Amino acid sequence: MYKGIAASRGIGIGSICRLVEHDLSFEAKMVSDTAAEKDRFRKAIDSFVEETNAMADEIRKNIGPKEAEILLGHAVMISDPAMSGEMFKMIEAGQCAETALTAVCDMFIGMFSQMEDEMMRQRASDISDVKVSVLKKLLGVEDIDISKVAPGTVLVCKDLTPSMTSQIVKENVAGIITEVGGKTSHSAILARALEIPAVLSVPGIVDAVKDKDTAIIDGTEGDVYINPDGDILSKYIIKREEFIKKQAELKTFFGKETLTADGDKLEIYCNIGTPKDAKKAMECDGEGVGLFRSEFLFMDNTHLPTEDEQFEAYKEAVRTMEGKTVIIRTLDIGGDKDIPYMDFEKEENPFLGFRAVRYCIANPDMYKTQLRAIVRASAFGGAKIMVPLVTTVDEVRTVKKLVSEIKEELRAEGIAFDEGIEVGCMMETAASAAIADLLAKEADFFSIGTNDLTGYTMAVDRGNAKVAYLYSAFQPAVLRSIRQIIAAGKAAGIPVGMCGEAAADPLMIPLLMSFGLDEYSVNPVLVLTARCIISKWSKAEADAIADKVMAMDTEAEIVAALKAAAKE
Amino acid sequence: MVSKNITIKNEQGMHMRPASLLAQMAASFESSVKIMFNGNAYDCKSVMFLMTACIKCGSEIELVCDGPDEEKALAEISAFIESGMGD
Repeated sequence: MYKGIAASRGIGIGSICRLVEHDLSFEAKMVSDTAAEKDRFRKAIDSFVEETNAMADEIRKNIGPKEAEILLGHAVMISDPAMSGEMFKMIEAGQCAETALTAVCDMFIGMFSQMEDEMMRQRASDISDVKVSVLKKLLGVEDIDISKVAPGTVLVCKDLTPSMTSQIVKENVAGIITEVGGKTSHSAILARALEIPAVLSVPGIVDAVKDKDTAIIDGTEGDVYINPDGDILSKYIIKREEFIKKQAELKTFFGKETLTADGDKLEIYCNIGTPKDAKKAMECDGEGVGLFRSEFLFMDNTHLPTEDEQFEAYKEAVRTMEGKTVIIRTLDIGGDKDIPYMDFEKEENPFLGFRAVRYCIANPDMYKTQLRAIVRASAFGGAKIMVPLVTTVDEVRTVKKLVSEIKEELRAEGIAFDEGIEVGCMMETAASAAIADLLAKEADFFSIGTNDLTGYTMAVDRGNAKVAYLYSAFQPAVLRSIRQIIAAGKAAGIPVGMCGEAAADPLMIPLLMSFGLDEYSVNPVLVLTARCIISKWSKAEADAIADKVMAMDTEAEIVAALKAAAKE
Repeated sequence: MVSKNITIKNEQGMHMRPASLLAQMAASFESSVKIMFNGNAYDCKSVMFLMTACIKCGSEIELVCDGPDEEKALAEISAFIESGMGD
């Protein structure tokens, strides 16, 4: 058995298809029939350009214009007189096509990789991509067409790239195993979105298996079996049935209100990253959007998004949600993200640095553009503004002042908006928990971001394996912060939600119910799971377990007690 | 031969997108089209050469056209560069 990171739940059983990197070595030789060689090269380029343009079309539709532009650039590069033009000249002089291609590309890779401008240096990797793709054509090496794999296929690869994932047909892929990537990697997010069981970070798995080997993937536990014996296979066939049955039970919660065992009404919202995801939130029966990350507008782009571009995106999400609440988090970004057109300086401690609301307030023109777009979108549904990384009352006041200026302007311009649009705090820093009572006087709502709250409270970088053991929302310090934030919100009479991963955690839910959390914002695929868990707990039961664990000293005791009390 | 001095206006200088649009446009003329910058001549019909020139926002370049349709090429291409090359 192999162990990896459980990245997407469910059991997958199927036949392996390895996606391996090919050997692209070749023997450099002189050619005498240069006309035939040029013809061979021309065909390779034509086929590359045709495929690249087709893929760019797909990507524009499915991923975004920025990624598509990069691919279109590849087609332009190879067709350039300085590229294929020079290569044809070398072939004319008797070099083989592979040599000509490699020599010219390597020259440009050398030139670009020495440039000062970061954006230009990136062109070196583009040319490298072009080189590899055309070389594959020349050598007759075919990439496996992922979109055409047979039903019941388990994909095994080093890492799943965006171009691979865009080809996956959900019905045909039984599971995914990779050698790299964690729970929040691109592959993991995609696998969960497609509901394909996935185990990531299994070292050496690509070389350890052969095509057509049988694989079992337990994406809930992170286990992988290759060519298992009959006993294990039948055990997992049963497990798969149970998982599917459980999924069917969850479906009975579809279209229902979220009610505790006592019949008290709570709400399950969704976390989304693009306007398209709003559709997914509706399909998964979300009762609103508790976190709409606005970063995609800035990251998947070649320029600062204009007010209208942002407005269209927010309006689309708000309209899709048909009047339900859509909490839009304003730009949450800093020096750890490289956005070429934004002037983020490299910082020693980006997570303690010039980021999120701090950056936004210091760039009021940029921030007002975003806030105006959100306020305008409020005319079309339940848009709310959420401010990330709040640590002081001043920050909230400043944002509220900007919002009231914007309202004034819009009134003067005769543009419609919701006069009552709310401004809330994302509660994700130790400071925000400590002054939750002060913030509650300024904010219209709270939303607890447990991922960062855990990191900032425990002073731990979850990506650092040596200290990752401290990263747990069940640490007494984090639980106390959560309880304090909810209590401060309740005391001030404002609603409190949670948009971190903990909101869907079956062990955490009874505690949140006891603390009095109103709104649980989860990944769309977990809406029914969370609703099902909430339905099994009464307030009295939740209070009993909460009282018990809040008196405990350690995370280990707390988790053990919650596991013992958990309801299937 | 005709030429004109132009200051580059688009914020990110001569990156992929403006360079490919410019090369496409230059290639539609019969005349040779070159950009003189930092003492070097760069063939304007090549995206790759345009990008290797490291032309930034604010850079002063000289556009040089030579051939049967040089006047038309100079007028149209310089207008395009001055318009910000679609950025």
